[in-house]
Amino acid sequence: MTERRAARNRAMMVRPATHVGHRGRRKEEWQFMKRLKMARGLAAVAAMAIIAGACSATPGSSGSAGGAGGAGGATKYTIGFSNAGGVGNGWREAMLCSAKAQAVKSGNVSKVTIIHRDTDAPGQLSDIRTLIAQNVNAIIINPSGPDALNPAIAEATAAGITVIAVDASVTAPGAYNLSNDQEQYAYLGASWLFKAMGGKGAVVYMRGIAGHPADTDRDKGFQRALAENKGITIANTAVTKWDPVTATRQINDIMSAGTKFDGIWTSGVDSNIVDALKGANHAYVPIVGADNAGFVTQLLNEPGLKGAAVTNPASIGGAGVTLALQVLSGKKPASNTVHVTPELWSNEDDAGKAKLKAAADATLPPTWPLGLTIQDWTTYSKPELIACKGPGDA
Amino acid sequence: MTASSAALGSRRTVVTTALAFVRRNGWTVALVGLLVAFLAITKLLQPNYGPAGIQGLAISILPIGFAAVAQAIVVIAGGIDLSVGSIMALASVTSAVLMLNNDDLFGVGVVIFVLLLGLAVGAINGALVVVTKVPDIVVTLAMSFVWAGAALLILNTPGGGAAPWLMAIISGPLGSPWLPKALIVLAVIVAVVWIPLRRSTFGLAMYAIGSSPLAALRSGVPMARSKIVAYALTGFFSALGGLALTATGGVGAPVPGSYTLQSVAAIVLGGVSLAGGRGGVVGPIIAVIILALVRTDLFFAGVDPNWSTAVQGAILIGVVTFGSLVAMRKVRA
Repeated sequence: MTERRAARNRAMMVRPATHVGHRGRRKEEWQFMKRLKMARGLAAVAAMAIIAGACSATPGSSGSAGGAGGAGGATKYTIGFSNAGGVGNGWREAMLCSAKAQAVKSGNVSKVTIIHRDTDAPGQLSDIRTLIAQNVNAIIINPSGPDALNPAIAEATAAGITVIAVDASVTAPGAYNLSNDQEQYAYLGASWLFKAMGGKGAVVYMRGIAGHPADTDRDKGFQRALAENKGITIANTAVTKWDPVTATRQINDIMSAGTKFDGIWTSGVDSNIVDALKGANHAYVPIVGADNAGFVTQLLNEPGLKGAAVTNPASIGGAGVTLALQVLSGKKPASNTVHVTPELWSNEDDAGKAKLKAAADATLPPTWPLGLTIQDWTTYSKPELIACKGPGDA
Repeated sequence: MTASSAALGSRRTVVTTALAFVRRNGWTVALVGLLVAFLAITKLLQPNYGPAGIQGLAISILPIGFAAVAQAIVVIAGGIDLSVGSIMALASVTSAVLMLNNDDLFGVGVVIFVLLLGLAVGAINGALVVVTKVPDIVVTLAMSFVWAGAALLILNTPGGGAAPWLMAIISGPLGSPWLPKALIVLAVIVAVVWIPLRRSTFGLAMYAIGSSPLAALRSGVPMARSKIVAYALTGFFSALGGLALTATGGVGAPVPGSYTLQSVAAIVLGGVSLAGGRGGVVGPIIAVIILALVRTDLFFAGVDPNWSTAVQGAILIGVVTFGSLVAMRKVRA
C-alpha cells in the first residue's frame, strides 16, 4: 500500500502526502468538500450577476437609414458621433440632441449615427473604427483623451472622413477642434469664487473626468486663479466623472468627514451639490457651477445661496455638425482650432441676475444646460433641440 | 484487397477522425459557425464592410481576447479571478510610464518586466486564495481594488506613452489585407504559451483540480502549487491584455474598463464550465469576437440603445442555455 502510493506520487511528480491514518484523512476530505461547496455556490451566484452586468456597453444609433440625395438634389451627407462618457448627464444628452437638431435643420444630412456609452479610450477607439466601417462622411467626437484616439482619427482622415473634436481638443493633425475655451471657463469661475470668499479660506475642488482634455484645460485655469490668490487653499479635490450620483456621494463624504470649507468650485455637476448642502443642513458657501437648468433656478430662488454660473454651451454638438458641413463643402476654417468664449453670470450683481433670469427654464430637467444655441453656429429653435429628433427619426 | 477499397478505407478513417474531432470540440465548432453567421449578418447590414472593418475589429478585441484567455485558465483550474481588469490597468500604466521617452530596446525590457509583474501579481492572488482559504471570488474581488489603487498611484490620469514598435506590431495587415496583425499576435502568443502548457503535467493537474478537487487531492496532485501557478498564468495573460491596451491607444489608462465582466461573459459563451475542469482557450477567443460583432451588428441595424443592451444579454443567456440543453441530452443518451 505504502509502496503503491509512493509509486503513484512519483508518477504525478509530487511530494508524498503528509497526512497518515484513516480518520484524519477522512476529516480533511470532509472539510475540503464543505469549503468547496460553499465556494462553488458563491461563484455561481456571482457569475450570474457578472454576466448580467457584462452586457452594459451600449452602442446606439439615431435615425433610420435615410437614403442619399433628397429635396432639391443637394448633396446629403452621413455623420457619425462618438461620445464616450457622461451617460445620464444632461449636458451630454443635450449635446447629442443639438447635433441631431442641427443635422435636420441644415437639410444636408441624411443620417446621424450616434455611439453613446461610458467607456475608456480603447473602447472609444473601437467606436470610431465602427463609424469608419460604416463609411460616414464626417465623424464628430467628444474625446476621452487628447492623444489616445489619434490612431483611429488618422485612419479616418486617411479614408477621407472629416473629423471634428467638440467640447475638448485632440492632437491628431488632421482633426478640427471646436470647443468652449475651457481654461478661461475655469479661470473666470475660480477668480469670482476666490473673490467671493474674501480672498482666503479653503475650497472644495470638484473636477470632471481625469484625463479628459477639457478637465485638463480647466485645471490649468483653476490653478492659474489659485496662484493669483495666495490666501486660498484646497480643502479637498474630488474627481466627479461628471456623474451627478458620484458627485453627491463625494460631497456627502467630505461633509461627514468634518472637512471645513468656505467655497465650492464644480466642473458643472452643481445643482445636486447645493441639494446635498441643504439636505445635510450645512451652511451655504459660495459655489460656482455651469449654466444648468437646476443650478440657475437655485441661484435665483434659494435664499442665502451665493453663486455664479459659467456658460458652457452643450450646443457645441450642433456647432460641430455645422463645422463638419462647412469642411465637407470645401469651406475650411482659418485655424483648425475654434474656441467659443464663456460668460459668467453671478447672482450677486444685477447684470448677472438679468442673464440668469433670461436663461432660466423650469421645464427642463435640472442637469440640462441652458446654453442650447450658439449664434452663427446653430440655426434650430429650442423646441427643435428638446424634441431630440435626427434626420429620418419618427 | 484492391487499391480502390484501400482508398475507401483511408477516406473512412479521415471521416471518422473528422467526426471524432467535431464530437470532441462540438462547442468550439458551433461557435465558429455562429461567428461565420454573424460575419454574414454584418456584411448584409453594411454591404461595404471590408478589410478596414476586420482590421478595426481585430485591434479592438485584442485586450479582451487576452483577458478571456486569462480568465479561462483560472476557471478551468476551479477558481475565478475578478481582478483581471485591475491587473490590466496596472500593467497598462506601468508600461506606459516606463516606455515614455525611452528607446526601443528599453521598451523590450519594459514588456518583459510587465509580464513578470503580471506573473507576480497573479501568484500573490493565488497564494492568498490558497493560504487564507477564503473563496476565490472574495479574495480576487478584494484584490481588484488593491491593484486598481496601485494603478492610480502610478498614474492618476491617462498618460505616458507606448514604444512605436509596440503600436506597429498590432496595427495594419500582414500579407493579405484581410489578415490583421493584431489577430496573428493574439493567436501566436496564446498558442506558444497554451499548447505546451496543455500537454504538460501541470496542464493535467490544472484540469484535475478544476474538475474534481477531491479526486485530484486523493491522486496526490499538488493542489496549492497548481492553483498558485494557474493564478500566476492568469496574471501573465492579464498583463498581456494591459500591454495591448497601451499599444492600441498609445497611452496608459489607470481606470479599468469592464474587462473583468467581459472576460467572464466570453468564457461562458466560449464553453468553459464555471464549475471548472472543462473548456479551452480557443472557444473564449472566438466568443470575444462574436460578442464584439453582436455589438457592431446591433449598431449597424440601428437598434435603440436601450434595446441593444437587453438584446446582448438575451443572446448570451440564450446561447449558453441552448448549449447546456444539448450537452445534457448527450449525457442522457
